[in-house]
Amino acid sequence: MGIKSIVKTDRLYWLGRYLERVYTTVLNFKTSYDIMIEEGAEYEKYCKHFDIPNIYTDTEDFLTKYPFGEENPDSIINNLKRAYDNGIELREEIGSESLAYIQLAIYAMNRAAQSEAPMMEFQKLSDDILAFWGCIDDMIEDENTRNLLKVGKRVERIDLYGRLHKQKVDVVREIHRLSGRINRCSLHYNERVIENLLRLAEQPELDYPQIVFEVDRILEL
Amino acid sequence: MLLTKKKLFFIIKETKESAKCWLLFSDLGGMSMAEFDLYDRADDVNELLARYGVKLGIYRDNTFKEQLFPFDAIPRIIDSKTFDYLERGLKQRVRALNIFLKDIYNDKKILLDKVIPEEFIYASSGYAVQCEGVCPPKDVFSHISGIDLVEGKDGEWYILEDNLRVPSGASYPMIARELCRRSSPRTFRENHIEDNRNYSDLLAHALDYVNTGGISVVLTPGRYNAAYFEHSYLAERIHVSLVEYDDLIVENSHLYFIDYSGKKIQVGAVYRRISDEYLDCMNFNPESVIGIPHIFDVYRKGNVALLNAPGNGIADDKGIYYFVPRMIKYYLDEEPILSNAPTYLPFYEEDMKYTMEHFDDLVWKDVAEAGGYGVQFGNSMTKQQKQDFIALLKKEPRRFIAQEVIDFKDIDIMEKGKSVPRKADLRAFVVSSEEPVVWKSGLTRFSRNPDSFIVNSSQGGGFKDTWVLSQS
Repeated sequence: MGIKSIVKTDRLYWLGRYLERVYTTVLNFKTSYDIMIEEGAEYEKYCKHFDIPNIYTDTEDFLTKYPFGEENPDSIINNLKRAYDNGIELREEIGSESLAYIQLAIYAMNRAAQSEAPMMEFQKLSDDILAFWGCIDDMIEDENTRNLLKVGKRVERIDLYGRLHKQKVDVVREIHRLSGRINRCSLHYNERVIENLLRLAEQPELDYPQIVFEVDRILEL
Repeated sequence: MLLTKKKLFFIIKETKESAKCWLLFSDLGGMSMAEFDLYDRADDVNELLARYGVKLGIYRDNTFKEQLFPFDAIPRIIDSKTFDYLERGLKQRVRALNIFLKDIYNDKKILLDKVIPEEFIYASSGYAVQCEGVCPPKDVFSHISGIDLVEGKDGEWYILEDNLRVPSGASYPMIARELCRRSSPRTFRENHIEDNRNYSDLLAHALDYVNTGGISVVLTPGRYNAAYFEHSYLAERIHVSLVEYDDLIVENSHLYFIDYSGKKIQVGAVYRRISDEYLDCMNFNPESVIGIPHIFDVYRKGNVALLNAPGNGIADDKGIYYFVPRMIKYYLDEEPILSNAPTYLPFYEEDMKYTMEHFDDLVWKDVAEAGGYGVQFGNSMTKQQKQDFIALLKKEPRRFIAQEVIDFKDIDIMEKGKSVPRKADLRAFVVSSEEPVVWKSGLTRFSRNPDSFIVNSSQGGGFKDTWVLSQS
């Protein structure tokens, strides 16, 4: 499309963020869900890990409200809806083909909410998100559009990896990916944050809280 | 295998796997058995429509909901000879309506010659005094006209309504056709069906033709509009930006799009999907927060084209509809090719007398309503309702029209694996630039309720593709 308003720029960035939030959350949730089949108290650890309020009464409550709770602002379904809300207003930017994968992810989520074995549908949901990223690489000509989406994805991933204390190699890789792309799109960002993240990536031991703090203020000018 | 039988009949054959519908077609240009392939794949098409989010927004109990627009795979089929006839009639009608719009906001010859009484113009909610003396770029007022027709059981086509403000619906047969072709290529290989995928070209050309310099955009009131899917889909297909009010600004009598860096890019044409009332709070409804202040001033100076032109509501007023055949004679000196549904204006004494005598046989329409609302059948009112209605009618005779109930042809739809007849209309699209062009397709809307004549999507109706058979 080429010409972009500030609102569309913002939506592309947040679409990338929310999709990544859902994707990484689902991956982690799948692992935890497996443990929680037998070990009930795991959900408390999970909430602490993700830095989300523990509003759940027991494991069963967690396994329902965390992924599917319409009233729960931190639920996976609400993050997916936020992705959809941004995506639906970007059809002419990202194309119907790409948008279709977000729609399919919504259907998979709705089916998961009704299923006795939600992980089967979560697998499809993850596949749809991966297909979305493949589709935008293949079908969106405008580099700025692709970069805005991917910058959102990288920012979110650094934020989540920081909170989850992921391996250093993974966090450093994401910081480098972000710094190599963010100056190739029309996003107004805080350049100092990129410098700080690169510096933090060089430390022998990662300062995870500081990484999360830095990446969270990337749009603060 | 080509079929030439005169009659159309269905044989429903239940198989272990699925209910299959075998359709033997009449001599509508010689359709082939390949169609069955499409019906067998109707579920695939609906699955694809869901995948692409082909939805309608509906407000119910003050809550916005998105729902899929139900699609039926049995198309409306129009043979080439019938389409030629409709095409001539629709072009004629749109030409006359366009001249009427220019005349009514400028010379007013049609009023001076008393072809239409003044009351019907100045009392109409569609008349916009702001448009007095204004001519749009290249004198095109109705760039996209949506004309609603029905086919009577006698085979005659009747115009039910002209929609010249922001007619919607073209996107649905566009995408449905694409998905039907994907699901059942054989159907389209073996039958001679006019390609309808040129709508985006027609629309893009209509924008280019009147563009006053700068980019073209589609202006939407936003995501919570019932037709938002269409806005975004058309913007995608014609490769222009979909914008909202806060993306545009008026400066120095020109309209600009503001990009992410604050740079202003001139806009030369706006395909606006927002009604006149909300378009510009400085010239229309002062309470509107979804329009662009002063955009109408830019338009008045000829510095931007607005598609469709503001003020078009006067031409698709249900009261003015009555006069369209007269307009055709007056402006074009031609006999109308397509007929109106027989209509009465209680405003005229003799029509009031007739309608009172035949009250129960008529359908009553409030000229201020749209979307299937404000429509009442005389024979379905209670005694009290009738009394109240007549009291209101006598008080405000200009507000209502009465029409003979046309016994229009049913079209079959598939319901639970069986074909059942339902009422259906056709919205034909006429896109005007140098000349009006009738799109070789259209939106066929049907009622899902067996007892209802109301086909509007806002009231639960579904849609079909419309096939125009080519001559080859």
